[in-house]
Amino acid sequence: MGDPFDLGAGWLEEHVLVPALYWLGLMNWEDVSYGWALFALYGVAQVLLTFTVCLPLERWRPVERWPDSHAVWVDVLYTLLSRIGVLPFVTYVLFYRAQVAVSGWMADQGWVPPTLEGLFPALLGQQVLVFILYAIILDFADYWRHWLAHRFRWWWALHSLHHAQRQMTFWSDDRNHILDDLIAFVWFGVIALLIGVPPLQFPLLVLVLRFLESLSHANVRLSFGWLGERLLISPRFHRAHHGVLAAGQRSCNYGAVLPWWDMLFRTADFSREYVRTGDPSGEEALATGTWVQQQMAGLRRLVRSFGRRRVRHGT
Amino acid sequence: MRRLCLALLCVVAISGFAASARAGGIAFVVNSNGASISVIDMATKKEVRRIPSLREPHHLILSPDGKSLLVGDTAGNQIMFIDPNTGEVQKRLPVADPYQLQFSPDAKFLVVNGLARNQVDVYDAASMKLLKRFPVVATPSHLAYSPDSSTVFVSLQDSDRLAAFDLRMMTEKWTVPVGKTPAGVLWLNGRVLVADMGTDYVAVVDPADGKVVDRIVTGKGVHQLFLSPDRKVLWVNNRAGGTTVSVDPATLKVIRSYAIPGGPDDIDFAPGGKLWITRRWAESVAVLDPVTGTFETIAVGRSPHGLYLNAHAPSPVVVSSR
Repeated sequence: MGDPFDLGAGWLEEHVLVPALYWLGLMNWEDVSYGWALFALYGVAQVLLTFTVCLPLERWRPVERWPDSHAVWVDVLYTLLSRIGVLPFVTYVLFYRAQVAVSGWMADQGWVPPTLEGLFPALLGQQVLVFILYAIILDFADYWRHWLAHRFRWWWALHSLHHAQRQMTFWSDDRNHILDDLIAFVWFGVIALLIGVPPLQFPLLVLVLRFLESLSHANVRLSFGWLGERLLISPRFHRAHHGVLAAGQRSCNYGAVLPWWDMLFRTADFSREYVRTGDPSGEEALATGTWVQQQMAGLRRLVRSFGRRRVRHGT
Repeated sequence: MRRLCLALLCVVAISGFAASARAGGIAFVVNSNGASISVIDMATKKEVRRIPSLREPHHLILSPDGKSLLVGDTAGNQIMFIDPNTGEVQKRLPVADPYQLQFSPDAKFLVVNGLARNQVDVYDAASMKLLKRFPVVATPSHLAYSPDSSTVFVSLQDSDRLAAFDLRMMTEKWTVPVGKTPAGVLWLNGRVLVADMGTDYVAVVDPADGKVVDRIVTGKGVHQLFLSPDRKVLWVNNRAGGTTVSVDPATLKVIRSYAIPGGPDDIDFAPGGKLWITRRWAESVAVLDPVTGTFETIAVGRSPHGLYLNAHAPSPVVVSSR
């Protein structure tokens, strides 16, 4: 029994992508297109899994009920664009090209990225363990990326789009400004060059990690208990980060999957119950605008952040 | 009773040894996306184990002394040395971005194409010391030598060009356009054949100046070229067309086309005339009988690429994991 994602991507490649690339005279994108096909299929699986689990949970024990959930539909669009559609293609292509250029330059300087297996040869062949260790390292890196996104005024101006949603659901995980996404790609791209992150060898584990990130945004009264919340980030824990009192440069609970870093660096707050979400300091378009209006509002806030001494944050 | 048990154990052990010692051959298949090398018992056509690589292995080549199989792991930046008789990993050598790699016919050089890093590295084959790095315009993909080892020809996939490097002077001789997205390269009868993946033809190139002197139409997305061990048949894999085509190497006329779906890529030749072909998008190897035109498949890992058949190795193999 083969890997269904790989075989599915192979089918797409053989019957759709390669014929199209050949017809368009773009066969040099063949390898990239295969990577994108895999990326998109994982995205479909992520969306289906998240939808199947989170929707019943949100119906069962919602934190809030809204008479009009129009704003959620924009988050649905963010999710589809981010995990399946155009963005993976653009970012994969851009990222691939940028990585080729940067790694080529680094090779000329004599730099070969170290790997965990190179540092600890006993890990060779322990691929699942290696992946889990890398996932922990990347989660640690994401904690600091997220913390910095709140600390720098210009970065918060972009990141505030993610926090503007007052109707937070499991769809809200991918609600980001496109420049904020780009910074995250560069951030992880540099880390990949430094520590030799393995490619997508374990799609099921990636799928579980992305699922946990989506679940943490869900509109559901769900805690993992005293111990569980100190092992994995729950919807209750992450909701505190999205609370109106936490929006801005001094927030809490920055972690994505593991709460360990918040506990270690004293930014964890386990006390808050299911708080209201949103960012009262942002303009309304960030919360309820269309995708384009939200992106433009994020840009305006970015420009303003350079002009003012301080951007006003949550009250 | 105890003696009977011991005797039975001896019989089982002896029969097991007999099974492990029978000659059948080992095939090595490189799973690029699976970061592993599948070891296949050629007699039973079953995968018996996987050797873990670091990140993304693609091509492999037998060392001139036949004692090591070199597997290039591009994203892992290393070459794995594997015993071709047992599958045991002998050593791992740090090398920047080893994609396609081949020893020169005189066994003096190992040329390694760094596809992602736009570089062609020439190593001293004996010491593995880097002698020369040629920066190139784009994506050095496949390579072939002139029979006298004086020149190596490298396809530069994203630039539609073929480059020739003089290995005696360590200089670039020429870099010229040869057709869209050139991939596989092969020296044949005083010419260089280049598989132009963005087209349906193999370009026939004059090695003196890189001029395209002829084109052989074989099918959509021509990707790789292989000459049979008896040098009587040229085999061409067409990636987009999903076909493997036999060509008369003397006349360069197509003999027959075989449907091999799933992205046919590399080929190796089994005793008896069957072709083993990796199918990049189907997690399998096709074993093609060119007489009947039928093929059977062997399941391997994700995105199988390079392969090597060692028909003289005993099978099945029992080896350590690293």
